[in-house]
Amino acid sequence: MNGTPTKIHTGVPGLDKMLHGGLVPARPYILSGPPGAGKTIMSVQFLREGLEGGERCLYVALEEPPNELKLNMRPFRWNLDDMEVLDANSDVRRFEPTPILEISTEEEPARVRDLEDRIRKTPDFESREVTVHSLQQLLKNLFLKRQYQRVVIDSITALKYFCMREFEETLTTQSFMRFLAEAKVTSLLTVELPEEGEAPPEAFLARGEIRLHKFRDDTGIKRFISVEKYKGSSHDDVVYPFEITPTGAVVQSGPAKGVAAAL
Amino acid sequence: MERVKTGVDGLDAMLSGGLVPARPYIISGPTGSGKTILATQFLFDGLKRNEPCLLVTLDEPPIEVKSNMAMFGWNLDHLKILDATPDVRAHKRQRSVIDVGTALDVRDMEDVSEIRQSSQIRALEVTVHSVQKMIKQEFAGRLDKTKERYKRIVIDSMTALKMFSMQGEDSRILIQSFMRFLAELEATTLIVSEHLDRTSIETEFFLGRGEIRMLKWIDGSIVRRAISIEKFRGSRFDDRVRPIAITSGGIVVYPDQQVAMTNGSTMKVGESLLELRIIDDISNVLESALHKMEEAHRRQIPVRDLEVSLSRAMLHFQRKNYQKAMKVALACNSQLEQRLGGVPPPPESPVPPPPKEVAP
Repeated sequence: MNGTPTKIHTGVPGLDKMLHGGLVPARPYILSGPPGAGKTIMSVQFLREGLEGGERCLYVALEEPPNELKLNMRPFRWNLDDMEVLDANSDVRRFEPTPILEISTEEEPARVRDLEDRIRKTPDFESREVTVHSLQQLLKNLFLKRQYQRVVIDSITALKYFCMREFEETLTTQSFMRFLAEAKVTSLLTVELPEEGEAPPEAFLARGEIRLHKFRDDTGIKRFISVEKYKGSSHDDVVYPFEITPTGAVVQSGPAKGVAAAL
Repeated sequence: MERVKTGVDGLDAMLSGGLVPARPYIISGPTGSGKTILATQFLFDGLKRNEPCLLVTLDEPPIEVKSNMAMFGWNLDHLKILDATPDVRAHKRQRSVIDVGTALDVRDMEDVSEIRQSSQIRALEVTVHSVQKMIKQEFAGRLDKTKERYKRIVIDSMTALKMFSMQGEDSRILIQSFMRFLAELEATTLIVSEHLDRTSIETEFFLGRGEIRMLKWIDGSIVRRAISIEKFRGSRFDDRVRPIAITSGGIVVYPDQQVAMTNGSTMKVGESLLELRIIDDISNVLESALHKMEEAHRRQIPVRDLEVSLSRAMLHFQRKNYQKAMKVALACNSQLEQRLGGVPPPPESPVPPPPKEVAP
């Protein structure tokens, strides 16, 4: 990649301007924020932007069952039919000493249009577990088979909490991000932030971090967005307000006055 | 989309009609803020609609729940209640503990009389597994007998479950599994949880599909209460803090009134940005050291000792000891450089010049 690479759009109105044109492709980025800030909505918007341009997009669900994701995004009326969703939620754990089945590396993502309406049930005699190694292998296979342009991992926190068994978490997360960087896909990884205090270390491991802030005042929840870090590109240092509107997240260009009821 | 009413009109208004069905939600707040009352009101609303409802109590014995709720005059006779309160711990270390799932059954609230006496021989220990097994049996039994599914479940509380039942295990994975279990039941579930430390990321809060927060504070000599919705997946909601009152008929939310809030939380954005610059520098050094570490592995240069100090740097980093983290990381980085024989660092990460001194 010589000179200035062509940037790709995030699909969030106003955010590309903050990023001075968009994201440098084929790299991993972090989207962080406290619960309820709008991470999932923004990351789906990012994939939708890709779908509109005919790109192949993958959403790796680690927090929410895919059927719920589908239902939750319905009010926005986006056409997500061709978005592929990989269900990386672990099953209910077995306490009996039965063999643990790691998620099969042959697992296939499902297109949103084919998603079931109800939650997948843990089978009676086995229990599927997602580990970071099996997930990485699975993604590796997928990336070899088809060319994905955009990938969302929702969330890295869930990956760290549920798929690593407290083993060398920071190093393992780092290596997972390396893997994504080497896979040459533009990926957006969501990170849960605590409401107060500082961010966990995984927030600092990527090439770029977009951070969502959520505050309360007398008129309700106020949302802000900032670009914390963006290697290889200039970017705005200003914290901008954003809203979740009926058509998705929108970053305002000036200071917000009288924010309407958020989603 | 059809919503599940919470039984509190004002809250339903805030939730744009009620909860999205078949999902687990969190009710959070300090003690005495009204969490259990709200949860019971939710169950009472279900009973009024002839829906099967289950209360899993881990904090208070059923008899106390019963007498505490008596003042509201709700008919909870047909509420199923699972007593998962742990027994008095015997002081002797016990090898065998009775699984709560085999020793207890689910009772109707009307049959609840006195407190269960701790067994003389073996203390009844409550584990997540046993609670889960118990709920599962009850669920399947109900389905078998009456062809009905439980529509509403309350877990009171997750805090107790975590404190008593997850010792020595990876609680995050247990909570994930438990919440997955609840979601698969496809009942609308309220999980009561205190969240005292807002600087930590608690599993149930980000896995919960929504969070209803109860607030309580002292204003002069008056205790004030309020409620807010912090997160609600898949729906719009009223994002203001609304005052509430605990009346003889239960919790009442005033969705048209406002609570004045005074805090300068917007200030924090600026501060956090400043801190990030420091953090950014350290993570650059760490990243470059990690690159070198990989290179060393590839070339099979022994770096075991440096791995240890690098993870110590990361530990400092996690604990916010930024100065120490920086010092150790820099030392580690320069040592690695030496061992690699002055190989130029990977092109994409700029490495700050390593200092001459070596960490103690």
